[in-house]
Amino acid sequence: MNRLTAILAATTCLSGAAFADDERIIVGFATAETGFMQAYDKPAQDAAMIRIAEINDAGGLLGKQIEVVNADTKTDRAEGAKAGLSVIDQGADLVVVSCDYDFGAPAALAAESNGLISFFLCAESIKAGIQGVGPNSFSASVLGAVQGATMAEWAYNKKEARTFYRLLDTWTEYNKSICDGFDWMMPQLADAELVGQDTFLNEDASIAAQITRIKSLPEEPDAIMLCTMMPGAVSAIKQLRAAGINSMILNGSGVDGSYWLSAVPDLSNFFVPVQGSIYGDDPNPAVNEFNAKYTEVTGGAPATQYTYPGYVMIDVWAKAVERAGTTETSAVVAELEKMKGEPTLFGPRTFTSELHHQNQARYLIVETNNGTPGVVDEWTISSPIPVADLMK
Amino acid sequence: MGGIMQVVFDALSLGSLYALGALGIALIFGVMRLVNFAHGDVIAFSVFALLWPSVDAVAIIFAGNLPWFLLIPFTLAVGAGLSVLSEVVVFRRFRRANPATMMIASFALGFVIRYFLLMLFSSRPKSISLLPGLSQPVEILGARIPLLQLITILVTIGVLIGLTAFLRRTRFGLEMRAAAENFTMARMLGVRANRVIMGAFALSGALAAAIALILGSQTGTANIMMGASVMLMAFIATVIGGMGSLAGAVIAGFALGAIATVMQVILPPDARAFRDAFVYGAVILVLIFRPQGLLAARGTKERV
Amino acid sequence: MARPSILRRTIATPLILSALLVAFALAAWFAGSRPFNQTVIDIFLQVVFVVGLYTFVGNSGVISFGHIAFACLGGYVAAWTTIKPMMKGSAMPGLPDWLMQMEIPYWAAALAGGGFAAFWALVFGAVLMRLSGIAASIATFAMLAMVNAIYSNWSSVTAATSSVVGIPILRSIWPYMIAAILAVFIAWAFSISRYGLALRAARDEPTAAAASGVNIARVRLIAFVISGAIMGAGGALYAHSIGIVTPDTFYLGLTFTTLSMLVVGGMGSLSGAVLGVLILSSLIQGLRWLEAGVQIGTSTIALPGGVQEIALGAVMILILMFRPTGIMGNSELTGRRARTEKPGEPGTT
Repeated sequence: MNRLTAILAATTCLSGAAFADDERIIVGFATAETGFMQAYDKPAQDAAMIRIAEINDAGGLLGKQIEVVNADTKTDRAEGAKAGLSVIDQGADLVVVSCDYDFGAPAALAAESNGLISFFLCAESIKAGIQGVGPNSFSASVLGAVQGATMAEWAYNKKEARTFYRLLDTWTEYNKSICDGFDWMMPQLADAELVGQDTFLNEDASIAAQITRIKSLPEEPDAIMLCTMMPGAVSAIKQLRAAGINSMILNGSGVDGSYWLSAVPDLSNFFVPVQGSIYGDDPNPAVNEFNAKYTEVTGGAPATQYTYPGYVMIDVWAKAVERAGTTETSAVVAELEKMKGEPTLFGPRTFTSELHHQNQARYLIVETNNGTPGVVDEWTISSPIPVADLMK
Repeated sequence: MGGIMQVVFDALSLGSLYALGALGIALIFGVMRLVNFAHGDVIAFSVFALLWPSVDAVAIIFAGNLPWFLLIPFTLAVGAGLSVLSEVVVFRRFRRANPATMMIASFALGFVIRYFLLMLFSSRPKSISLLPGLSQPVEILGARIPLLQLITILVTIGVLIGLTAFLRRTRFGLEMRAAAENFTMARMLGVRANRVIMGAFALSGALAAAIALILGSQTGTANIMMGASVMLMAFIATVIGGMGSLAGAVIAGFALGAIATVMQVILPPDARAFRDAFVYGAVILVLIFRPQGLLAARGTKERV
Repeated sequence: MARPSILRRTIATPLILSALLVAFALAAWFAGSRPFNQTVIDIFLQVVFVVGLYTFVGNSGVISFGHIAFACLGGYVAAWTTIKPMMKGSAMPGLPDWLMQMEIPYWAAALAGGGFAAFWALVFGAVLMRLSGIAASIATFAMLAMVNAIYSNWSSVTAATSSVVGIPILRSIWPYMIAAILAVFIAWAFSISRYGLALRAARDEPTAAAASGVNIARVRLIAFVISGAIMGAGGALYAHSIGIVTPDTFYLGLTFTTLSMLVVGGMGSLSGAVLGVLILSSLIQGLRWLEAGVQIGTSTIALPGGVQEIALGAVMILILMFRPTGIMGNSELTGRRARTEKPGEPGTT
C-alpha cells in the first residue's frame, strides 16, 4: 500500500502545480476510513487505486494524471454528507461513495445536487442509481436480486433442486433483495416448489425456533435459500448444520470468503455466487494476476469478491471519459449509458438510461466442499430481471 | 410431543442466555444501583481476548486454541478481570453519583471498550471455532437439538444453583445479599463495601464471559456488537424482574426467551418480522401492571 | 401564566444561549466551507434534540430512552409530505392518496412532524407516565424499540429498512439555527410555566408536591408531549439536512449520543443541554481534525483512526468524575454571578 500511496502522492504534487484547477482530473473518495463500513470500503477502494495507478502509469486519462482526494465518512450518515461536500469542494470530477447504499447515499446525494457523477463502490440495491439517488448515480456491483435469481435457476438446472425453503434475515435491504430475486425466479421454474419460509434477525442470539420449523417439514427441502449477510450468516449456517440439516444452502455474495469457514468446520453443500474468484482458480487468468497484484500492493490477498467492483468502477468510468473526451458529467453519463456488455475483468457490464446497475450478470458459482471453497460452474440468468419487478 | 419439546428446548436455551445476562446486570445493580451498559462490551471483549489483534479478515487464534479445561477458566478470568478493572478505574469514583450519571459513565466506558476492539480488530466479524465438539446434534425426549443448546441450559441451571449456594451459604454471599438489600445499613454493620462491590463485579464479569463462550461457540463469530442484543434483553429482564432481585431477573430472562420463541412459532409469516414489536409491547404491559417488577426487591421501592 | 418577575429574572438564559447559537452560525457563514457548514447544521440539530430531551428529562427527572422514537416519527413525516409524489409512489406505495399527492415546504413538514410526534407522545404518554424511575425508563425504551421494529418492517408505508431518498435537501444554515433557538425558547417557556414549576417540584419532592395538589402524571404528560413535539420537528429537519431517512438512524446510536450530551452538560439545566452539545460537538470535531492530520512545520501529525471515539468516551468519563451532575449542574447561565440553584427550590419561585 505504501508504494501506491507514494506514487499517488508524487503525481498529486506534480500535476497540482502544473495545471489550472479545471484542467485536473480528480477522483474523490467519500468513503469510510474508520468504523463499521471501513472493512468493506477499504478493499474495494484499494482495488480502485490499483486501476488508477495502472491508468496513470499508462499515461493517464485524456493525457492527464488522475489525482485522488479523500474524506472519511466515519460510517455515519450525517458525516457522509459532509465527506461528500468535502471532496466536491476539493474539485472531484467523480465522487466515489461508500459500499453500502444506506451509508453511501448522503454523499451521493450531495454529488447529485452538484451535478456530479457518483459511483457506489459495491452497493447492490437498485436505489444506488437513477431510482434512488438520481440520474448521475451508478453502482459498480450487481443487483442483489440477480444473486438470488442466479442461485435459484442454477440449483434448479444443475442440481435438480425442486423443493426450496426461503429463510430471510430482515435486517437489511440487501438481504431482502436476494430473496426478492429468488421470488421472481421461482414461478419461472416448472414444478419447483416453495415448501416453507421464515424470517429472522441478523442479531438474533439463536435461530432455534426457525430451525425447528424447517425440521418439522415432512421432508428436508432440496435447497435452502438463505438471504442474509455477515455477521449473522455464520451463526445461521452454523446452527443449521449443528441441527443436522444437510440441505444445500444457497446464498448471496455477501458470505463469500474463506476467512469465516473455520467457524463451521467441514462445511459442505454450500453455494455462493461471485463476480470473480479470490481462491486462485478463476477461469480468467487475468483475475488471478489481479489477485497477485493486489496482494503485492496491499500486503494481503483479497478477502472477498467485494474487492473487485472498485476496479470495475474506475475501469468503466475511465473508458467513458476517454470516449467522451471530457470529464463533464452529462457527456460521461451518456457514454456510460452506451455500454452494452462492456467487457471488464469481472464480467460484462451494461448501463442504460433506465438502469445504472446490472440486472443480469455472469456469476461464478463457488461450492464449499469439506471446508474448501472452489469455483465449480458459472451461470448467467436466462433473462434480465425487469426494472418494474426490481422496484416493487 | 417431539415438536413441543423442541420449542421448549429452544425457549429454554434462549432464556438461559438472557437469564445469565440479567444476573450479571442485577448483581451490580444490587450493590451499587448502577445500570451497567458496558456489560455487553465485556461480553464482546471476552471473545476477542481469544484472538490475536489484527485487522486482517482471517482471525489469528491465540488463546482460542487452548484445550477446553484451560480455555473456559481463561475466558472467565478475562471477563472478571475486565469487569473488576472497570470498577477500580471508573466506577469507584461514581459511588455517590446519581444513577443517570453512572449509567452514562458506563455507557461511555462501553463505548471506549468497543472502539478499542474496533481499532485492534477492525469491524469485520472474525470467525472462531470455539469448542467445536458442541455442534453435534443430540436426540432427547423426541427432540433433536444441538448439544450446545443442552449444555447452555445445563450450565445456566448449574450457575444458578452454584450462585444460590454461594449467596446463601458463604459469608461473602451473605454480605453481598445484605449490601443488595440496604447498602448503607450493611456498611454500618461491618460489611466491607469495596470487597463486596469488587466481588459483584468479578461475578458479573465471569457471567458475561460465560455468555461470550456460549455465543461464541453457537455463532462461531467474534463480532464487536455481539453483546449488544443480549445485553438489551438482559437489561429489560432485570427491570421487569424487579431491579435488584436476582431471582426476578432470572425468571424474567427465561420469560423473555419463551415469549420471543413462542412468538416466532405462532405468528403468521407476515407478522413474524414484527416479532420484536410484540415482545416490547408485552414488556410495556408487564411494567404497567407491575411497575416494581415481577419480584420487587425490598428496599428498592420508590417513594410515593 | 408565569409571573412577570420570573420572566424577567430568567429571560437572560435563553437570550445568552441564542447568542451562542448565532455565534456558531456566523462562524460557519464566515468560514464559507461547505463541510464545516454541514457540521454546524448537525450541531444545531443536536441542540434541538437535546433541548427536546431536556424538556422532559430535565424537568421530570425521569430518564427517557425513547425520545428518539419521536424524531423517527417526525423524520418520516418529512419523507411522506415533501418527496415528489412520483417518487413516493414507487418507494412507499401504501400511503393513502391524500398523503401521496402532498408536497409541502420543509418548515410545514417540520411543523407536521412535530404535531404527529406530539400526538403519539400523547398516546404513549397516557399509558407510560404513570410509571416512575427506572421502570419508566425501560418502558420508554420499549416504546423506541417498538417504533423501530414497526418502521423497519412496514414496507409499504416506510419502505422498511431501506433508506427513503428524495427528501429535498436544505443546506442553508439559517433555518436550523432558527429551529434551535425556537426549541430553546419553548423549553425555557415551559420550565417557567406553572406546569414546568410543578413538574420540577414533583421531581425534587414528590411527596410534598403530590400533597400540594400536583397531579404528577398529568404534568409529566404535558412535558412529554411538548418534548415529543420538539423531537418530531427536529427529526423532520434532520431528514432535510441529509436527504434520507432510515429507521436505523433514529435508534440506539442517536439515543445515547443525545442522552450523553444532556448528562455531560447537566441534566437539570437548559444551559447544560445546549452547552453539552456545543462542548461535546466541538470536542468531536477537534479530535476529527487531529485524526485527519495537522500540519506542524513540515511533518503531518495524525492520530490513528478510531482514537477520536476512544478519547471522546474517556473525556466524558472524566467530566462526569469531576462534575457528577454535569458541567452546569442545576444552574443556568444568567449573565450574573453564578449562583447554584438548590434542588429544593426549583425555578426559584
